[in-house]
Amino acid sequence: MTGLLSYLCFFATVALSYGVATLGLNLQWGSAGLFNVGVAGFAGVGAYAAAWITAAPAAAHWGGFAAPIALGWLGAMLAAALVAAVIGAVTLRLRADYLAITTFGAAVTLQLLALDLTALTGGPFGIAFIPKPFEALADRPLAFGAANLALAAAVTAAAFLALERLTQSPWGRVLRALREDEAAAASLGKAPARFRLQAFVIGAALIGLSGAMQAQFFGFIAPDNYLPVFTFQVWVMLVVGGAGNNRGALLGAVAVWALWTLSGTALALLLPGFWQARGAALRVVAIGVVLAATLLARPRGLIGERATVSRHVAQAGG
Amino acid sequence: MSLLEVRDLVAGYEPGLPIVRGVGFALDAGEILVLLGPNGAGKSTLARAVAGLVPVAEGTVMLGGGSLLAVPAHRRIGAGLGFVPQSGNVFAALTVAENLAIAAAVLPRAARAGRIAAALALFPDLAAARGRAAGLLSGGQRQMLAIARALIPAPRVMALDEPSAGLAPKLVGTVLAKLREIAAGGVAVLLVEQNVRAALAVADRAMVLVEGRVAHAGTAAALRDDPRVAALYLGGVRAA
Amino acid sequence: MIGQILIDGITSGAMIGLGAIGLTLTCGLLRFANFAQGEFATWGAYFALLIAGALGGAAPLGPLTFGWPLLAALLISMGLTALLAWSLDAVLFRRLRRHGNAIVLVIASFGASLALRSAVEFLFGPEPYYYSRDIAMTLRLAPGMRATADQLVVLALALVLMLAMHLLLARTPLGRAMRAVSENPDLARLAGIDAARVVRATWLLGGALAAAAGVFLGVTVQVRPAMGFELLLPLFAAAILGGIGSVPGAMVGGLVIGIAEAAAVPLAGAQYRAAVAFVVMLAMLLVRPRGLFGGRAA
Ligand SMILES: Nc1ncnc2c1ncn2[C@@H]1O[C@H](COP(=O)(O)OP(=O)(O)OP(=O)(O)O)[C@@H](O)[C@H]1O
Ligand SMILES: [Mg+2]
Repeated sequence: MTGLLSYLCFFATVALSYGVATLGLNLQWGSAGLFNVGVAGFAGVGAYAAAWITAAPAAAHWGGFAAPIALGWLGAMLAAALVAAVIGAVTLRLRADYLAITTFGAAVTLQLLALDLTALTGGPFGIAFIPKPFEALADRPLAFGAANLALAAAVTAAAFLALERLTQSPWGRVLRALREDEAAAASLGKAPARFRLQAFVIGAALIGLSGAMQAQFFGFIAPDNYLPVFTFQVWVMLVVGGAGNNRGALLGAVAVWALWTLSGTALALLLPGFWQARGAALRVVAIGVVLAATLLARPRGLIGERATVSRHVAQAGG
Repeated sequence: MSLLEVRDLVAGYEPGLPIVRGVGFALDAGEILVLLGPNGAGKSTLARAVAGLVPVAEGTVMLGGGSLLAVPAHRRIGAGLGFVPQSGNVFAALTVAENLAIAAAVLPRAARAGRIAAALALFPDLAAARGRAAGLLSGGQRQMLAIARALIPAPRVMALDEPSAGLAPKLVGTVLAKLREIAAGGVAVLLVEQNVRAALAVADRAMVLVEGRVAHAGTAAALRDDPRVAALYLGGVRAA
Repeated sequence: MIGQILIDGITSGAMIGLGAIGLTLTCGLLRFANFAQGEFATWGAYFALLIAGALGGAAPLGPLTFGWPLLAALLISMGLTALLAWSLDAVLFRRLRRHGNAIVLVIASFGASLALRSAVEFLFGPEPYYYSRDIAMTLRLAPGMRATADQLVVLALALVLMLAMHLLLARTPLGRAMRAVSENPDLARLAGIDAARVVRATWLLGGALAAAAGVFLGVTVQVRPAMGFELLLPLFAAAILGGIGSVPGAMVGGLVIGIAEAAAVPLAGAQYRAAVAFVVMLAMLLVRPRGLFGGRAA
């Protein structure tokens, strides 16, 4: 029973960490209409930054400052924001689908760097022994799980409330106006490029934070965690939950993470021995089908934005 | 029954936002009807709705007694309706010959060469430019090509959206005179124009569209002398 | 050294070009970046693997490592992959197009690409396959310039396919219609062109050519689930470099990317191949977004 409960705590903790990334992506896509297909890259930057800052010194990788976790998460947000500022400054003026391709390329390149710069990142083996929050409780699984869940919930709630305020603020309204009709908004004297870049950077900081949270909760990171599948998961969460709506983003994160976890368990039970090793691949197929079905049947997700999500997307493709 | 009959037509780009708001007219073979009106009146939208490029919310469009509404845009040329849009009316990256060949492709194989030759006879300038990319043609040649393209499949009704736009004054007369020739061959012509005087000179009848509704309809001759036309066009909206 | 870079770059560039043709055509016609294009190459390679296996071993042709079964498999695989590309459009993209969201299409294609790749990985496992276990015979073309017989034949076949595609576009009514729809879909409809038919033909052709690229990649390198995914950035780079919608552009873009990758390998290491394509593409987008051949604007 305790086992199940502490497992549920861990499940919810991870789901919420995905929720933070989904919130960040929702700011970029749902509010600003920025098509970021490099989510994994920003999450990876955040994860490595947090690991460098908080882990104990080790020969296998750079960093190891053994600093408090809060500092690590702050550093993760800053690092992801910095990388996003550079990438955004170069690519945000491109047409939507070129932005998709370039952010995708940036994430692939970042992942290659993580693999190759062994002295910094530990190479393919990644970084282990990243301190977990509340490690003192580690021998009492339920308390440990509950404490971690509380932490994740607090961070997620803070991100959620901040975003709600931000999107209701004049700044958020300008962002939406830009998304719907750039020419009209620009004619009101709003510099579209600056607003977009701000949204991109803030969103990336949240995605970086999500990467840092996961690094800390799992205690281990490797380049393989930041493949396009990660980007895909977060996108499916946002699409299923409903782009343009922060509640939807969180709901989508929890629902899709549940589906992901359950499908993993189900495949482990159902697949005969030989195929089990490949079950992970089948899971991606399944979630791809869920995405396609959602797009076809409920294009606005479980809870969509109140107004129509996207006149802009019809034009974005040219 | 007229060749082209449009009744109570309501059309627009977004549901609930009609641009054309209940327009009707009829057009007979060999006749030229000119559609006038200020900028943004919905002239292009009306013509594009007839051509099948803009969704029709209400009303009917009948050609030769059959409804066009269920006919997809790419089949309307086969049903006898040719349309020359306001902008982007030739394939700029394709050669003149290719533009003409695309137009002829809807005809039976045996008829193609003959129709292309007939179009080139009407527009001799084009024959010399056959191998040139349409994007490199002069403004006048471009309009000729656009008209030839719509004419090759032998439509019974031809709609043209401002074929004289951007042409030198001398060419305006030439292009509009060609329309007279085309109509003389039994084609019904619906002409959207801003060159009011030149258009009224070749047209049989005229219709003025204001804010998506017919503000005036009558013979071209009557409108030529109508002070309201002067009010609409010379009174500040746009000089003819 | 330079000679070796050229021959390696041109061979892989020809495959990139083949795959990029479909990408540039669908992108020009439907105005969306299809992230699933690389997977057509993967599926093509695996289809050929299965078919060649079923046709059984035959003696290799001359100095090549493969025999006629693989050539037959190439053709059949092109057909099957063409159908795959077409069905992906029919069940997914065409319906989403009706909703009118170009960007939703990109998300959908991103999902489709992962699903297609993972399906291959599920069925065949992550380990690489080879069409033949024979050692490829190496020919010395010039001092410091070596190529396998396989490489040369594959290069020749790729060039033949590109030429055929070019002639189809330039000389046939279908090609003319494809160019017309790509330039101006509304005018094409007015001229009586059935755009749906043209789109169908484009998916079929793009899928078939990508399959050929995949089989050629399988012959010269290996057959792996990630092969198409790794091809994706080079494909985008080639299409953007050549100008979206331009088939000759995609071919030349492919060659440029192939050579740039081959040149970068001695400098940066083979692991950065994909990054090279990305950097070239980014530079192009920033400097000349219409591409070398003046395709559609960014
Ligand atoms: N593609 C479109 N989507 C939405 N609205 C449109 C579109 N094209 C035109 N409109 C709107 O429809 C209205 C009528 O436009 P239309 O082009 O039919 O006018 P027009 O009479 O042809 O004007 P002009 O003389 O300038 O050609 C205008 O208010 C215009 O803004
Ligand atoms: Mg108009």
